[in-house]
Amino acid sequence: MTTSAIEIRDLVVDYGTRRILDDISFDIHQGEIIVIMGGSGAGKSTLLRCVLGLKKPTSGHIHMLGTDICHAAREELYELRKKMGVAFQQGALFTSMSVAENIQLPLREHTDLDKNTIQIMTRIKLDMVNMLPYENLMPSELSGGMSKRAALARAIIMDPKILFFDEPSAGLDPITSAELDELIIMLKETLKMTIIVVTHELESAFAIADRIAILGEGKLIQIGTPEEIKNSQDDRVMDLLNRTPRENNMDKDEHLSRLTQDNR
Amino acid sequence: MIKTINNLGTTTIEAIEQIGRTFNLLLIIAWKIVQPPYRIFPIIKQVYFIGARSMTVILISGATIGMVLGLQFYNTLERFGSVGVLGSAVALSIIRELGPVMTALMVVGRAGSAICAELGIMRISEQIDALECMAIAPDKYLVAPKLVAGILSVPLLNFVFNVVAIGGGYFVGVILFGVAEGSYVNGMIDSVLWSDVRLGLVKSLIFGLLIMLICCAKGFYMHLGKYGSQGAEGVSRVTTDAVVISSVSVLFCDFLIGALMS
Amino acid sequence: MKCTLHSENDYDLLELGGEIDLHYSPDLREAILASLKEGKPLLIDMADVSYIDSSGIASLVEGFQTAKSAKLAYGLLKISDPALQVLKLTRLDRVFSIFDEAEKFQAQL
Repeated sequence: MTTSAIEIRDLVVDYGTRRILDDISFDIHQGEIIVIMGGSGAGKSTLLRCVLGLKKPTSGHIHMLGTDICHAAREELYELRKKMGVAFQQGALFTSMSVAENIQLPLREHTDLDKNTIQIMTRIKLDMVNMLPYENLMPSELSGGMSKRAALARAIIMDPKILFFDEPSAGLDPITSAELDELIIMLKETLKMTIIVVTHELESAFAIADRIAILGEGKLIQIGTPEEIKNSQDDRVMDLLNRTPRENNMDKDEHLSRLTQDNR
Repeated sequence: MIKTINNLGTTTIEAIEQIGRTFNLLLIIAWKIVQPPYRIFPIIKQVYFIGARSMTVILISGATIGMVLGLQFYNTLERFGSVGVLGSAVALSIIRELGPVMTALMVVGRAGSAICAELGIMRISEQIDALECMAIAPDKYLVAPKLVAGILSVPLLNFVFNVVAIGGGYFVGVILFGVAEGSYVNGMIDSVLWSDVRLGLVKSLIFGLLIMLICCAKGFYMHLGKYGSQGAEGVSRVTTDAVVISSVSVLFCDFLIGALMS
Repeated sequence: MKCTLHSENDYDLLELGGEIDLHYSPDLREAILASLKEGKPLLIDMADVSYIDSSGIASLVEGFQTAKSAKLAYGLLKISDPALQVLKLTRLDRVFSIFDEAEKFQAQL
């Protein structure tokens, strides 16, 4: 009987009159790797921001390790965040600090650990992501792949229970991407982390996921094991997997007037 | 026609929202800054950035303004035969008005714009989100040191400006135009009262806080304003806005404080 | 976390147990360093460790380095599965001297 790390219930997000997320509900089990996929504009980023507590939804609940983050006080949220790690899409490293200083920041802010301990912990994590030779570089001196690896090291420095990964493979070469996939699987198996990955790289997704959740136009289209998703009969899922371009059902007159309309 | 009114309405609402957010930020920081953790070193770093880096510009503009005042006042006073009061005229203008205002404007250009841009870039590259997700309050970590540093550095820079400017007036009046040194210096000492110094001090304290607050809020809350999704161009626009708004606010507050404290 | 020190004839035995995380690792660190200060070799029994995070590992590493500088023998005994997995992840299983019997450590001294 798996317990849930995160429970999302009836999540709705509106931007003015546009509905970005429409009644999303699903659970994320403890210790699993779940990949959230969907086309552009499907609402993946918004969903991620809500689960991270960076955005308050229009309505709904998100329970993480017992706390409803949509209605939690700031202190509660911060306590929860100490058990979470987030690796942002662009790395989001602090440009005024070296790589090592970036990684150590949570330790220095939230713990009283001795500086030797902090240094060894930093180096252990850097070694895990193969960045140990670069610990004293500044973020501006790193390549895209290196930034992402440093960001991952920062995300796991406090051995979080839940790890979030926003587009880990975007902009990486296939080899680095595969190494990252391996690392994600190792983190789950060894440190028993619950890992949530938002991506649109199909190969990575199928390589690492225990379950995949597919979003489309703000709704949860399907959620299941990679096998279940592969065998899905849903058109939208099949289009996504087969990389079918969106169809353009065109009305001749409509299109003509769109091209020639005076739009001032 | 309707569109114009529509735009006017939107702009007004946005402006009010921004003012509200800015004031809100001030209250939040005032509340948080008296609670641990107390981070002293970042404040010192910011004082260096704002204060030490602006020093050259302050020295140059101070000397120049002082000399201009010396020149213009001498010109006018000579017509009435009262060049003896040159010292008082220069000193009082500097201490009461030009010192605080010019210092503030120089700091806006030198440090305020840089700080706004820095926070704006941090916002669009998700660094501020990263802090939030690490359970480090970004307003306290990033903005608070800058506000405190503003309150500390601007009055100090103002003092330097005043000294250099009065010296500039001395240079023009006494050395170039031959006004009696005694009358310049003594006139100054006699007519400058504590209430004048106090006025200048209050102004520079308030300006220091005001310009840091506006520049920080503009950059920090960039994502909530109209430039939020414009990336690098948005940062440059928001920074320009910040400089203009801070400068105008300084001038307006200058009048307000002067009127209230007379 | 359980952390008890036994003095054997020619070495110290530190028995660890339970969960070693951010809260307890400073105590572990102190225990290791204090024992090494006495100048005796140190063997750390990890059979009962149910969980150890990187702060705990860092304490073990620092102990190893300190022991090396003081030319004292330093070993880990009977590492539990969870702890071994973490050591493997950080490739430290090849760095530490690991023993499955206390006698083997003693024999090395």
